[in-house]
Amino acid sequence: MIDHSCSCEDNPLIPKICVVSDVIEETPDTKTFRIQTVDGKKPFLPKPGQLAMISIFGVGEAMFSITAQGEDYIDSAIKKVGVLTEALHSISPGQKIGVRGPYGNGFPIEGLEGFDLLFVGGGIGLAPLRSLIRHSLENRKNYGHIDILYGARSPEDLVFKDDLFENWTKQPDTIVHVTVDKADAVWDGNVGFVPAYLEELAFQPRNRKVIVCGPPIMIKYCSESLVRMGFDKKDVITTLEMRMKCGIGKCGRCNIGSKYICLDGPVFTLSELDDLPDEK
Amino acid sequence: MKLLKKDLKEALRLISDDFELLLPGEGSGVSRFALWDGGDIDLSYGNTQLPPKDILFPHTEKMYSFKCATDVEVTEEAEAKSRIVFGIRPCDMRAIECMDKVFLEKGFTDSFYSRKREHTLFIAMGCTNPCRTCFCDSMGLTPGDAPAADILLVESDDSFEVKAQTQRGKEIAECFGRLLTDGKVQVSKVSCALKTKMSDDLPEKLSGMFEHPIWDEVGRACIGCATCTYVCPTCYCFDISLDNHGSEGVSFRCWDSCMFSDYTRMAGGHNPRPTKKERVRNRYMHKLSYFNERYGSALCVGCGRCVEKCPANLDITEFIDKVAEVRL
Ligand code: SF4
Ligand code: SF4
Ligand code: FES
Repeated sequence: MIDHSCSCEDNPLIPKICVVSDVIEETPDTKTFRIQTVDGKKPFLPKPGQLAMISIFGVGEAMFSITAQGEDYIDSAIKKVGVLTEALHSISPGQKIGVRGPYGNGFPIEGLEGFDLLFVGGGIGLAPLRSLIRHSLENRKNYGHIDILYGARSPEDLVFKDDLFENWTKQPDTIVHVTVDKADAVWDGNVGFVPAYLEELAFQPRNRKVIVCGPPIMIKYCSESLVRMGFDKKDVITTLEMRMKCGIGKCGRCNIGSKYICLDGPVFTLSELDDLPDEK
Repeated sequence: MKLLKKDLKEALRLISDDFELLLPGEGSGVSRFALWDGGDIDLSYGNTQLPPKDILFPHTEKMYSFKCATDVEVTEEAEAKSRIVFGIRPCDMRAIECMDKVFLEKGFTDSFYSRKREHTLFIAMGCTNPCRTCFCDSMGLTPGDAPAADILLVESDDSFEVKAQTQRGKEIAECFGRLLTDGKVQVSKVSCALKTKMSDDLPEKLSGMFEHPIWDEVGRACIGCATCTYVCPTCYCFDISLDNHGSEGVSFRCWDSCMFSDYTRMAGGHNPRPTKKERVRNRYMHKLSYFNERYGSALCVGCGRCVEKCPANLDITEFIDKVAEVRL
């Protein structure tokens, strides 16, 4: 039993004990973890684009984006990149983990209302986008036309395949454009990098907001393309990644200039990024 | 009110039942704040070699312990001793104000810090004899004054003027009772040993110098030892880590330094500050520009410790002067 009589509810640095209630294999190196409190509730109420600090007791903790949320759970899709994520990938449902959060500013959901939305994602970058895509589909009438452009290295590296090929394509006034860097024998979709596909699809900037998440190099090229296409830098939103420890703007780790990515970020518009020193 | 120097020990004794007293002293060959043993009080320390930041922000601090054999159990340490820090200098007192901003403001309160802070009082001592590398008056401080302290002591040859500056300070002063006599102490204005060309518009100027060649120069000289951040009274970066034996362990935090190459390295290997140039730039920028932007004051209080201790002779006062000379 959990003997838990301390003030950690008010101590933001002490994790809440939670349970991984389900593990879904997305790709060979990415899994989605469904997380609930020990009594089957939602650990906290995140806004789309916010982050969670997830720990395995005895191994360590790291910051991940929250991919989705339901009545009684949050989901985080996590790619295997280091020691902690290796350990996470080896756990099975029922295991207890530590969770603290939610952290960060999240996407400016009110500011997006009334606009057409273009989501541009690469690789695991669809994980943070998915929280916002789900939010906009759940509140469909608040948003205009929705385009989702997503790419990965190969067909097997595409995450959230059910959403990409089933759930989202069925939504009203929603188009999903999928591309892969390299096709396999059965792939009959587009082949090419995300920035190139973005140029090819030639989206019109009028009344449209763009949200871009993915590897830094993809973000860079997509941003340049979007600016060329005539998008205002205030209308292009992206997320930054920095190493994080505390998540609450104290430990000093994640600063770019005077901003702390864990607190003031991870979501910024391109015009806000222009005001930050180039140290990403 | 005045307190004769010869009565100081007696005065401290009067409050030592209710408070732990921390005084400047010598320990393992360095001067630092340490628990008072009731012995003689040495007031000859200027600012201690190690800053008093560890009183509120220990070098290593346990956050919680866990057991994970069959189930996870998290227990947190409770800690709340009432303490008085005696003899803290104005620069270090200002540094505590900077730490307060970091740990107590901007959305989240750091409970580990705030619990200690609430139970810690400060009796500061104005400087009459500045150390050879301090430059606090260039950084907007007054060597004889420590406005954030609960009590300020102004030193003369044979006595202190005792200025209670907060309600808690008044209560402490009342404990000194009959040892206090009426009167004031006359002191002449003290001025710091080092001067810099620090100015109100330097933080803003620096923020426009991110790509300036000045960083190549300072980056080359630095050897990345992190002495500067270790001895700095305002450097507050920390790491979170754990120590476990079998299924039991503790999670702790400990001082870290932005001068280490691993500090910003991410799990995938990317490092946004790959060389000493970016790291020195971050430290100076944080001290002299970023913190001003975020919290409204500099994060350097002019204590001079890094100037004194850097093995590569990097000198923040020289850096400030160079920046002041730069034409943009
Ligand atoms: S003390 Fe000097 S050499 Fe060492 S890290 Fe600091 S600036 Fe570099
Ligand atoms: S930067 Fe150097 S002079 Fe300034 S407060 Fe820190 S140690 Fe003291
Ligand atoms: S992670 Fe500690 S300040 Fe952002």
